[in-house]
Amino acid sequence: MRAARSLRISPAGVRGIVGHGLTAAHGLDFAAAFGTFLEPGGTVVVGRDPRVSSLMLREGVASALLATGHDVADLGIVSTPVIQHAIGRLNAAGGVSIGASHNPAEWNALKFLAAGGSYLSSAQSEELLDIYHLKKFRFADWTSLGRYSEDGSAIDAYLDILAGAFDLDSLRRFRVLIDCTNGTSGLILRRMIERFGLRFILINEALEGRAFVHEPSTTKKMAELQLAPLVPTVGADAGFLFDIDSDRVAFVTEQGEAASEEMVIAVLADERLEQGAGKIVLTNLSTTALLEEVAAKHGGQVVRLPVGRQAVIDALAGLRLEQIAVAGEGTGAVMLPQFPYVYDGIASMLAILTRMARRGEPLSALIAGYPAWSILKGKIPVRTHFIPELFDELEKRFPDARANRRDGLRLDWDGRWAHVRVSQTEPVIRVICEQRGAAPRRLFDEIMDLVRSYSA
Amino acid sequence: MSRVHQLKISVSGVRGVVGEFLTPNLASAFAQAFGTYVGPGPVVVARDTRASGEMLVRAVACGLLAAGCEVIKIGIAPTPTAQIYVADIRAAGGIAVTASHNPPEYNALKLFNSEGLFFNRYERAELLDVYHQSEFRQALNEDMRRIVIDAETASERHFARILRHIDAEKIRRRRFRVALDAVNGAGSRMSVRFLRDILGCELHAIHADPAKPFPREPEPRPEVLGELSELVLRVRADAGFAQDPDGDRLAVAGETGRVFDNDDVLALAIDCALRKQKGPVVVNLTTSSAVDDIAARHGCPVFRTPVGEANVVERMRAVRAVIGGEGANGGIIFPAVHPCRDSYLGMALLLERMAETGETMNALAASLPRYWRRSGKLPFAHGRLGQLMQALEAALPGARADRTDGLKLMLDDGWVHVRASNTEPILRIAVEGKTREAADRLYRLAESLC
Repeated sequence: MRAARSLRISPAGVRGIVGHGLTAAHGLDFAAAFGTFLEPGGTVVVGRDPRVSSLMLREGVASALLATGHDVADLGIVSTPVIQHAIGRLNAAGGVSIGASHNPAEWNALKFLAAGGSYLSSAQSEELLDIYHLKKFRFADWTSLGRYSEDGSAIDAYLDILAGAFDLDSLRRFRVLIDCTNGTSGLILRRMIERFGLRFILINEALEGRAFVHEPSTTKKMAELQLAPLVPTVGADAGFLFDIDSDRVAFVTEQGEAASEEMVIAVLADERLEQGAGKIVLTNLSTTALLEEVAAKHGGQVVRLPVGRQAVIDALAGLRLEQIAVAGEGTGAVMLPQFPYVYDGIASMLAILTRMARRGEPLSALIAGYPAWSILKGKIPVRTHFIPELFDELEKRFPDARANRRDGLRLDWDGRWAHVRVSQTEPVIRVICEQRGAAPRRLFDEIMDLVRSYSA
Repeated sequence: MSRVHQLKISVSGVRGVVGEFLTPNLASAFAQAFGTYVGPGPVVVARDTRASGEMLVRAVACGLLAAGCEVIKIGIAPTPTAQIYVADIRAAGGIAVTASHNPPEYNALKLFNSEGLFFNRYERAELLDVYHQSEFRQALNEDMRRIVIDAETASERHFARILRHIDAEKIRRRRFRVALDAVNGAGSRMSVRFLRDILGCELHAIHADPAKPFPREPEPRPEVLGELSELVLRVRADAGFAQDPDGDRLAVAGETGRVFDNDDVLALAIDCALRKQKGPVVVNLTTSSAVDDIAARHGCPVFRTPVGEANVVERMRAVRAVIGGEGANGGIIFPAVHPCRDSYLGMALLLERMAETGETMNALAASLPRYWRRSGKLPFAHGRLGQLMQALEAALPGARADRTDGLKLMLDDGWVHVRASNTEPILRIAVEGKTREAADRLYRLAESLC
């Protein structure tokens, strides 16, 4: 049943299980809609992840872009951040990232990127969707079709940018164990080792098209299972775990302790609030409340938005980049203001290593410096019809909480909060509860039981 | 009317004007139907040099991969080369992205079965049903295959097959001076290699740059080959050759620069082939009676079919023909190499004959029986062909009639053939006479009845 209903067309793009929802026709129609959405002419940058189905979608996307009169610069197998940087470097009209990131191998997705490498704003996404639904695409006549070219220099150009932003020499002292999960990070990190002599030890580096060595998720659980035991064994100073398109990252201390996926943004917020000029931390309603404590320490401010990158892009439009300390999610996907609009796990890793170098502290000590918050996450499929009623009942059940209905329902108490919302990528309700200190097991179970009573 | 014919999805495949009509979405869906139909094996994809080729090849590859096929891209290649490649590697099928001799704004998908042949009409109808039903095979990521790129071996496979039947050494020894107009088509590079390097000719080529647009009307009719004629005269070539954009059709000029009627070229090629081996000949109904005379000289039977390469090839296989083809459109089919129209085989056959006999191209052509031919076309209108057929038959009582493709009426001193085009919204009239007067008389008659 999950397979039959996998297709998800939303402002975030199109996503689904290939052959069971997501088809070649979706790829072509969406790319033709995107080619119609962009101003006529101009280059569109295309990159893909190593899934075999990404090659199929690449052919369709390239074809539709050429047919709508756009030159295509194909970067081959690269991460989404590499595509985003290439859009700026090539002064391209936009980009398409083909790959399903942290989803299992049978999934795929198309993400559309605007000029400058930004994700589309909500208004842009909605316009794209309108064109897609209307299916009246603006195909160029045969004399003005686009030209296709391959660009193999994108990873090096991206590394030049990273090398300009981080003192890579200072990071050579660290021995770092990295699980690439057979994704695009392997290509990039191997090249970093070659060019900058960094002491990275890569595992699961080989690109895989059909089956990844483990689920490509960057949760604490995955880091604990796959990476944590190895870090002290090889005597590494830190361990990092990437998803397939390396926009997300999780980490493990030198003692083999997996950090919560929520810690990536917390550490980076701390670093940027301390080092940079920006005072605003942009994040979503589901991300750890530790951020408020970190921000308070530096006189910063946390702005919480609905879940989804669109909301962040929309919010950024109303802010100057200098105001931003960091933006991101508790999933390990974080955007640093020096790389606007790019959620980049590799940049996040370099920022964490930079903090270690600057503070001269081991990673475990850095983490130990933060007050402990414990988070519980769950998901349940429910009968769609009853979702509004579910939120009403939840709000009534907890009259002592401060309620926020901006994205599902967020309930706040002192030192404790819960967020219940509808997933954008799966047909489920997500439940997230967090508490300072011990895990909020009783609250979580109570909410989960209530949600479950609405399940199909 | 005109809008309708800018896109045609029929048993011949998909053909249309690129842009609003022949879209990548449609090409991908058709390729996915094709992949569903032939099953999850390797499928060879080739293209000619049209501006829309790259775009459509990617759409086709997308549809094929989605159906679970492996895609073997052989790049820019003539249609016969692609067909031979399919047969050589025993692929599940092949798709050539080419609109053959149609103008550059057109493109089309030519579809081949696992033997590298055009589908028969039943297969074509079945494939069309799969397309219309839109329930394609949807491969999952784990079953999906990849793209193999082989831009190198296709031409060599083709040449190797030809050289099994042609004495290349004999041709090389003569160091013929040859002029070529490759229309900047799919054969451009290959034709240069074939004529210069393999057959050892002193080659003078024009329009052999696949990156450039077609310099002339792509169909190699004598009327559009003025540049080739001039080139032949200027370099004093022994022969001139012209191809269409996908290298299946061949036009030939003699040493005086005169471009032969395509019917005469076919008759010459048939003569060459029957000298090597006796056997049945198959041509379409519109092909010159010169073919009957030549075959009679060799004591070989001639079979006639409706117009269309697939029809000719089907009959050739049934009667085990040694050679066949289609006169007016310059297609020579020599099944020992591969049952497809092949300009390379045609060039080699004629050069070999010149080398063997020491005769010039014009002298070879002079040995052909002389017929006068006229042809014309009318815009298609519903009912128009039927009226014309009835009127013609009434006007020519006593003529032998063949009704397998429109109407062909045969008299003692000539014949007239009226039919609807398979590819364009027109009616075609073809006339042949033993004398100029006979041809003119029949043509005027047909014209007066339209």
